[in-house]
Amino acid sequence: MENNVGMITPSGGATTLAPAQDQSLQPPNPDLAVQIQHLDYFFGSGDLRKQALFDINLALPRGQIVIMTGPSGSGKTTLVSLIGALRTVRQGSLRVLGQELVGLGERDLVTVRRNIGFIFQGHNLFESLTARQNVEMSVELTGQFNTKRAQAEAMLGKLGLADRVGYKPNALSGGQKQRVAIARALVNHPQLVLADEPTAALDKQSGRDVVTLLQTLAREEGCTVLMVTHDNRILDVADRIINLVDGRLASDTSPDGYLQANAAVTC
Amino acid sequence: MWKRTPLALLNLIHDRRKFLTSVGGVAFAVLLMFLFSGFKNALYDSQLQLLERLNGEIIMINRLKTNMFVPRAFARRRLYQVRSFEGVEAAYPLYINDANWRNPETQQTRPVRVLAFNLADPILRIPEVSHYLADLQLPETALIDTNSRPEVGPTIAGIESELSERRLKIIGTFTMGTDFASGNGNLIMSDQNFLRYFADRGPEEDPRSFATADLGLIQVTPGFPVDRLVETLQAALPNDVLVLPRDGPEGFVIRERRYWEENTNIGFVFTLLTSMSFFVGIILVYQILYTDVADHWAEYATLKAMGYSNLFLLGVVLQEALILSILGFIPGFAVGGLLYTVTGNVTGLLFQMTWGRILNLLGLTFVMCLVSGAIAVRKVQATDPAEVFGG
Repeated sequence: MENNVGMITPSGGATTLAPAQDQSLQPPNPDLAVQIQHLDYFFGSGDLRKQALFDINLALPRGQIVIMTGPSGSGKTTLVSLIGALRTVRQGSLRVLGQELVGLGERDLVTVRRNIGFIFQGHNLFESLTARQNVEMSVELTGQFNTKRAQAEAMLGKLGLADRVGYKPNALSGGQKQRVAIARALVNHPQLVLADEPTAALDKQSGRDVVTLLQTLAREEGCTVLMVTHDNRILDVADRIINLVDGRLASDTSPDGYLQANAAVTC
Repeated sequence: MWKRTPLALLNLIHDRRKFLTSVGGVAFAVLLMFLFSGFKNALYDSQLQLLERLNGEIIMINRLKTNMFVPRAFARRRLYQVRSFEGVEAAYPLYINDANWRNPETQQTRPVRVLAFNLADPILRIPEVSHYLADLQLPETALIDTNSRPEVGPTIAGIESELSERRLKIIGTFTMGTDFASGNGNLIMSDQNFLRYFADRGPEEDPRSFATADLGLIQVTPGFPVDRLVETLQAALPNDVLVLPRDGPEGFVIRERRYWEENTNIGFVFTLLTSMSFFVGIILVYQILYTDVADHWAEYATLKAMGYSNLFLLGVVLQEALILSILGFIPGFAVGGLLYTVTGNVTGLLFQMTWGRILNLLGLTFVMCLVSGAIAVRKVQATDPAEVFGG
């Protein structure tokens, strides 16, 4: 049986494991886009219950570009999907853009997601819609139907696709499709962008271009970017690199520090 | 609403070939429903063609004549009794008998139904009959139904052949149609000619005379309540006859239809076939919608991640279902209408496309697509946006 002595989380949720740890929570900090404290996450239930994340503590200041690396199965994707309000969190504290996600129901999570830009490994564009229409689908969430066309075209223009707005995904190259996906994620000017291996399906040059564009726009908009990647060639765009191993934060450094540490290991 | 990107429509028509196949599938299911329900209605409607042309508000029959198939006559003097009642404008007898007609081309004999009446009486609401009243007074003459089955042979004026092994000349035509009781076709002749053919047909057949009639038609004085007169007549007359209004829920026409509904498998068989087409349609549309959702699950999941609710995605799938049902109904209806005409000509049955039936099937098509949509939506709702991460 689990230990019943554990403390009650702010949401009034389940009891926690590891009662010996220091579970005191910092007060909410408005300068942080993401504030994670003592976050545990489990998959499955009963005998199959498996812990994926162990006591994660992480603070992402607004405007920072953060790259998260780590081996497969280390929990990167799980952590990103938790920050993206795509899964229900029960233990610890997870604040995204000032909103506590622990204990929120599905309907509230949907509202939180509207303030986050998502970029996936696949572009996930509707083949039946043109580039502009795909981006407009995002604008329609804000109800700005009258200006959606202008907004979509402006954002596509910033990504160098001004002459491709009427093309369907089949007529675009891989890099162009991923840029449309970025336009879709950024068109509503989210304060937080979550990207999952955005360059995995692209060749070196397109990947580089896409990431550089993402970096430029993020600086312009002042938004926080959290990017999961295995791609060592794009680490230089980051302000900070986080390494996750076996569900625990293993390191948290600047790009230079990360490279040196890694060089020491490999040499 | 209209300012939204029409995602449902664009998703449907994106792949032209798949879209046409889908619409064709729905149209086929609609066509099958039209055809099977059409057969059911045609078999019923055909039974009533003669009944609806009877020119009298009240019908008198032998109590044992539960349907038009039963050859029971009643005493004609009952009609004379009826004439004395207040509200009765006129009362006429109609004589009906089956007889063998020789096809003048193949020389084969086929049973047909002979309708006979006093030519002075306006018995049937068939406009063509009035043109031939003078010629029909000649002996051994008759009119033939142009909607008779092909076995009867050519149905044109001038044909000479045999009825009950006695010469008969066709002097004109009328248009009605066959039913279960009419054999292969209908003939109309005068009551005088009726006696020539049926008064003495040898020892094996019952002789017919003017003493008995098969149907009595009673015309009601304009403004006189029909229902009250029916009650009065039925109460005053002996129980050997049954007096019924022609129309209305308890009327003669409905009674005939009800008889065939309750005593044959027509309704069961064709309703079963119609509902099978309905379920085939559900499965078909479900396949189409499910494939769309399954093929685009990453895109739909992305929409969910972006902040679209389940309700929105449900709306997209239901819109696709609705578009399919409307676009599939139109060709299904068009081809169905064509087949009604063709099948009507081949079988001699009365295929009627009424507004009520069209709307009924349109409604069924909507339900068909919405049910499949509702099943397919479960797939969308089960789509977990967290799964798009990490691909």
